[in-house]
Amino acid sequence: MSHNNKIANRKDIAINKLKSLGERIIEEINQNNVPALKVPSRGTSNIIYDEDKRYYVLGDRYGQRSLGNVKQIPKIAQMVYVANFCKDLVRRGKTATLREMYYVSEGWDVDFGDQQESNIVGEDLEVTLGMTREDLGLMPEEDGASVYGNLIMKEDDVEINALRLGKSGYTISPTIDDVEFLDHDVDKVIAVETMGMFHRLVQEEAYKKFNCLIVGLKGQAARATRRFLRRVNQDLNLPVYICNDGDPWGFHIAMVIISGSAKLAHVNHDLATPDAKFLGVTASDIINYDLPTDPLKDIDVLRLKELSKDPRYRDEQWQMEIKKMLKIGKKAEQQSFSKYGLEYVVDTYLPEKLDAM
Amino acid sequence: MVEREAAELFEEFKELTASEFFRRNKQMLGFSGKIRSLTMVFHELITNSLDACEEAGIQPDITIDLKRLDKDHYILKHTDNGPGIPEAYITKVYCTMFAGSKFRNIQSRGQQGLGCSGCVLLSQMTTGKPAKVVSGYYEGGKDKGLKGVELTFKMDVKKNQGLILDRKEAEVTQTGVSIELHFKDVSYSLSEQGAFEYIRRTMIANPHAKIKFRDPTGQIFIFDRATDVIPPLPKEVLPHPRGVTADDLIFMAKHTDKRRFRSLLTSSLSRMSTKRVNEIEEETGIDLNKRPRDMKWEEAEQIVELFARMDFMAPPTSGLIPIGKEQIDKGIREILNPEFAATTSRKPKTYRGGVAFVIEAGISYGGDSGRLVGEQKKAEIMRFANRVPLTFDQGSCAITEALKSIDWKRYGIRDLDNAPITVFVNIVSTNVPYLSTGKQSVAPEPEILHEVRQATMKIARNLQKYIRAKRAAKEEAMRSKIFENLVPVIIREAAVLAETDVPEYDSVLAKVTRRAKFENIPLESEEGEDES
Repeated sequence: MSHNNKIANRKDIAINKLKSLGERIIEEINQNNVPALKVPSRGTSNIIYDEDKRYYVLGDRYGQRSLGNVKQIPKIAQMVYVANFCKDLVRRGKTATLREMYYVSEGWDVDFGDQQESNIVGEDLEVTLGMTREDLGLMPEEDGASVYGNLIMKEDDVEINALRLGKSGYTISPTIDDVEFLDHDVDKVIAVETMGMFHRLVQEEAYKKFNCLIVGLKGQAARATRRFLRRVNQDLNLPVYICNDGDPWGFHIAMVIISGSAKLAHVNHDLATPDAKFLGVTASDIINYDLPTDPLKDIDVLRLKELSKDPRYRDEQWQMEIKKMLKIGKKAEQQSFSKYGLEYVVDTYLPEKLDAM
Repeated sequence: MVEREAAELFEEFKELTASEFFRRNKQMLGFSGKIRSLTMVFHELITNSLDACEEAGIQPDITIDLKRLDKDHYILKHTDNGPGIPEAYITKVYCTMFAGSKFRNIQSRGQQGLGCSGCVLLSQMTTGKPAKVVSGYYEGGKDKGLKGVELTFKMDVKKNQGLILDRKEAEVTQTGVSIELHFKDVSYSLSEQGAFEYIRRTMIANPHAKIKFRDPTGQIFIFDRATDVIPPLPKEVLPHPRGVTADDLIFMAKHTDKRRFRSLLTSSLSRMSTKRVNEIEEETGIDLNKRPRDMKWEEAEQIVELFARMDFMAPPTSGLIPIGKEQIDKGIREILNPEFAATTSRKPKTYRGGVAFVIEAGISYGGDSGRLVGEQKKAEIMRFANRVPLTFDQGSCAITEALKSIDWKRYGIRDLDNAPITVFVNIVSTNVPYLSTGKQSVAPEPEILHEVRQATMKIARNLQKYIRAKRAAKEEAMRSKIFENLVPVIIREAAVLAETDVPEYDSVLAKVTRRAKFENIPLESEEGEDES
């Protein structure tokens, strides 16, 4: 199936699913029943870590939205309105941000108290239909990561080469699912936490040295970034390596890419990349490379202890690294390798770590 | 230093008459402060009129006209339709202190016998002007015709009697008294302590009366009677042994016509049987067959001490005339026009072991209940003793203390101070235990506190039911409205979504709105949903 067909197919599925939501209600009315929708629960007790899939999924508990319940009926009304709004978006090939939808809703016969409320209804629709909000035409506000390297993509009729877009590379669009991968000649992906490190790798021509795509995550990875990483991993069979700061926050940025977040459990099947690997900076690296460090703050220690209990960190290697960091009481940034010269990270650190993988 | 001998010193020694004493101590009559002074004048004149009418079996009809001549200078004209006062008694009533019929053990509004003469005294002291009284009355049978007289007089404080300045025959059309007094150093106020509020409260506790009041701005307020029932006259009851002091016994002994102390006890005290008298004789060893005049103070003390240890039946309550549950209800509805009112009248109880009292309470919600302070309705407490509003010293009063000790949250009132509520409490007794001479607050006797609490909590439960039902009805209306608004919207949008026509949905709408009427507690079936 060509990419265009795939896109068209996704669109059809979205429209059909939205339509069926309306049909379910009308059908109940025709049978003189009080319509009710089952919405999978997103409460913490219904978010389960799936050991086989290696990411969070929703359990099988659900909440009811009944037309006959005074508290639930406004939510049904909001949901039906949002569904119509989305169907129109998908049909016209447009997207809107949640903020835009919130403003559009001013003209509806049902209110949203605030944007948070309309966001929740958007999520209700995602879980009820089992589709991501991007599939429904609702886009996140922020752009994704930067990508540098020899990857050729096609968006609408425009061909994009991530190697020919200047030193800042290609910015992953929120509409990444509409982008088709045409060609590439790389054999891995290296994602780094900061744009500082991204530019270091670009300048040192790491893309040539390691024959890779360089991805600058800009902190916690946006949905589009995670979707992109999953697609290059799954569709192009490229291994993904992540190199972050050596602290609990860096660890977790990697982990959300690998195993998904609890909050987005309902769409993790489209976002998580369970095979992605964390390169560093690890506590062992801090010791082995004798890196300049900062002492752990109270909040770092607290976070490390939380992580040690998180099912996603159950792996022996992770447990050992967390313990070690708590023991040395120190953390280090990725850029601290420049202690040994700017080129050190590309010339020495990355090759050694990649070899060890 | 020149020494002065006693005789010389005692040349200056004078006997003070009651009038002279109160002229020097007018605050003891309640005349302290400009607002309070005027309220006390209203109090004395109104209670006098009400008492007079009731004694004569007349439905009270009072007209009060208050004119302001100058800042703090007023003329008050107070007219009633009572039996009137025979000419010979007019100056006695208005000029002699401690005259009157109120020195019996009887439930009455006033208890000092200072009232009317006090008003005349205040008028005279602040303005120097005489009082003018017109009295219409029958004397020696109705067939002799209605007499009318107009007297202008001053009070001779040194002699404690009246000084008539002018006398005229007056044309009168009915019985009753009209008195005109000038006042300075008083002030008309709409505050809780002011004269207007005093009238309003009086009307709640006396729904059988009618008062027409013209205020200094010329506005006329008519407080109509809410019932035609004139309260029965309270009967005099003998004091209960537990309620008397050694001094009372000696006083009785001096003024009795009985020849033996034994018979004085049985005839002057209630619940005093021959058996009890014998017990007293046995316990104290006092010869009770001696003449009452021979009773010594120490013996009287001994007997009173024994009374406290003896078991007596509770005092008779026939002397207590409560307003009654229905009458309070009528008064509240007439004056406060409430959304909801509940009233109760408790059974008689005693305090200090020997004084009978009855607590009556009413609670009024919404309408004109509560006091409007700015934009906010505040709860108000209306205290009464024998139907007379107590307007001062609220803080120290047993009624206030009891009401504040109630946990109002239990009755669905989250914040009593800021609720549109009036709480009415009346204590009925031959002997209301006042805290001070001003007679504005009731002493916190444990039995009184208990009764006020019980009475109020009982009616608060009724109020709670009402508030609950009201809330439920409001909620239900809101819920029905939600369904009526949203069901058509959802079905329309669902039809657009499904790309079909809008189906017939009347029966489903009827189903959900009807269901809403039966479910009182909103369904919380969001199982495990915490939207985090």
